[in-house]
Amino acid sequence: MDRAATGHKPAPGRSRRRFRPQASVLDWATGKQVQGVSVHLSDRVTGGVLVALGAAAAIAGSRLPAVPGQEVGPAAFPLLIGSGLVICGALIAFGIGRSFEVPEEEEAPPGPWRLGGLRALVPPALLLFYVLAADRLGFLLTGAVMVFVAAFALGARPRLALPLAIVAPLLVHLAFYKLLRVPLPEGLLAAPW
Amino acid sequence: MMDLLEAVRLVAAPDVLIAIFASAVYGLVVGSLPGLSATMATALLVPVTFWLSPIAAVATIITASAMAIFSGDIPGCLLRIPGTPASAAYTDEAYALTRKGQAELALGAGLWFSAIGGIVGTLSLVLMAPLLAEMALSFSTFEYFWLAFLGLMCATLVARSSPIKAIASMLLGLLVSCIGMENPAGTPRFTFGITDLLGGIEPIPALVGVFAVSEVMRAMVTPEPPPLPRRKFGSILANQWMLTKKYQWPMWRGNVVGIIIGVLPGAGADMAAWVSYAMSKRFSKEPEKFGTGHPEGLVEAGASNNASLASGWVPSLLFGIPGDTITAIAIGVLYMKGLNPGPTLFTERASSMYALYLIFILANIIMIPLGIVMIRLAATVLRAPRAAVMPVIMLLCAVGAFATGSNLFSVLLVGVFGCLGFVMERNGYPVAALVLGIVMGTMVEQNFITSLIKSDGDILPFFERPVSGVLAAMTFGALLWPLGIWVWNRLRGRRMAAGGAAE
Repeated sequence: MDRAATGHKPAPGRSRRRFRPQASVLDWATGKQVQGVSVHLSDRVTGGVLVALGAAAAIAGSRLPAVPGQEVGPAAFPLLIGSGLVICGALIAFGIGRSFEVPEEEEAPPGPWRLGGLRALVPPALLLFYVLAADRLGFLLTGAVMVFVAAFALGARPRLALPLAIVAPLLVHLAFYKLLRVPLPEGLLAAPW
Repeated sequence: MMDLLEAVRLVAAPDVLIAIFASAVYGLVVGSLPGLSATMATALLVPVTFWLSPIAAVATIITASAMAIFSGDIPGCLLRIPGTPASAAYTDEAYALTRKGQAELALGAGLWFSAIGGIVGTLSLVLMAPLLAEMALSFSTFEYFWLAFLGLMCATLVARSSPIKAIASMLLGLLVSCIGMENPAGTPRFTFGITDLLGGIEPIPALVGVFAVSEVMRAMVTPEPPPLPRRKFGSILANQWMLTKKYQWPMWRGNVVGIIIGVLPGAGADMAAWVSYAMSKRFSKEPEKFGTGHPEGLVEAGASNNASLASGWVPSLLFGIPGDTITAIAIGVLYMKGLNPGPTLFTERASSMYALYLIFILANIIMIPLGIVMIRLAATVLRAPRAAVMPVIMLLCAVGAFATGSNLFSVLLVGVFGCLGFVMERNGYPVAALVLGIVMGTMVEQNFITSLIKSDGDILPFFERPVSGVLAAMTFGALLWPLGIWVWNRLRGRRMAAGGAAE
């Protein structure tokens, strides 16, 4: 199913270029995108990362100071987990886990990981923006920027994104600040309540 | 008896009733939106529970999760997109019924048997918990270690992907739980000199990141689901009594399987639905009808996933070991509200326990009228554009994480775990195992190290005590299960190949 058939019109310009309709099939039962050409991390890469991480954890863990007079201390657990990760990572890298998988369960095919994949980084980037800006700009402004950018990245037209960016942070602020008494930062623009 | 009356008084308080109603509506809406799972609905509720009374806080979690598990069936049935992973097992079947023009039957079965499963599951909780509580009083760190470890192993079985990847996810979660000073020796570990990491990684930001932010990230790179065609529904409960009588035996089997899977620490509604659907097909008199719009599997699996939800509270309430990711959140809330899980909860806070049972039953009863309304409104609710829902979810993630600790570091953690969850899911690493590793890591380590210190580094006592021996056997069974299947498939494959060659 390509994007046109979903009834969703991509916004003209940049967004269309970024998200070219591709010969991809959406497997709705799993909700994941099944695609012929896949650019996702291979098992070799993820397995290798796990081996490195496990080894680092085991080594760093074994260097932790022991509690005097006790055989087992804070080092034991990280050492154990680290070694386990090294073993699992190696098995994954050599593709041993695959033969355990029933074919139909091989269901983690990646989506279009090229330029379209960069859009996936929008939410974490916006959360980082919140961390950096919330105290200075205040919750209302930061929230408005976050909602607007996220809605825009998801293909909303300004007619939807703008009112949403104004109303959503106000409602969230009302609920969390007034009702739940969460100390949300005031910043430049204070809420009317 | 006094306790029961006290429980009725607790539940009938206006704030509890309002909390139940509001969280029911919330659970129905969130569960029905594709991609927003029941776990996520519960995780985003946590900041709200800070402000509620203990009973109302638990009520919101119970009600919202039960509703979300049912309402996940709605988009599954109408669009072939499961609203929650627990509905994925029978989505094809329900959609086939819709294509045959029997959407009412499929949705009604989802609703009716969800409610029955929920009530039967609650009864099992009522019966089992006090019995097990007596047993639990004699448990030592050895038994607790094996229980927690068994939970982690079950969590790796749930995942329908490579068991090695699932174990790797779980170990990664355990490694994350090592961060900070929350270990028996109180030594700061893996903090990299960051003060915010000294206290360790809180499960809630990790959960919100892995289940909610990664979902928003996924929405960024997948096309929007098609809009729901408007349709008029006939009577929703019309044929359900007939189905109940016809498929009485599968229904009970579904309930029992759901209860058993729910009681196992670490295994929850998703696994219950898959197992029950497979069993239904295996034992059915007409297995050839499965997949073509046959309600039998819906009856069994629909009852099963809701039954597991209630019995999943058994290990959570007794041992503080989550039955699944939803109860993992619930345990945090229980601690926060002074209802510390453990066998004494049933003796000292009996009225609170009765109140909890009553809330479960109440939630499953109001599920029927509210569910009917939700089904009728589904076309409108599901019309909400994803571009409007997802940004709000993200804002709630940020605020919710901030609210749990009032520091911005949690918001950063949410983002980091969002990325981690996204990458892991894309590569076939089950995130539920990661989350349970994070939640249970401290407990596993605490009991493991304490046991080792008690036994002077000897591992024999881990197997000597009768209950711990049984639990150890179960754990190794769960660990070696995939290997067994693999060997069996191998042998069968070879025999079949040999047979083929001989012909």
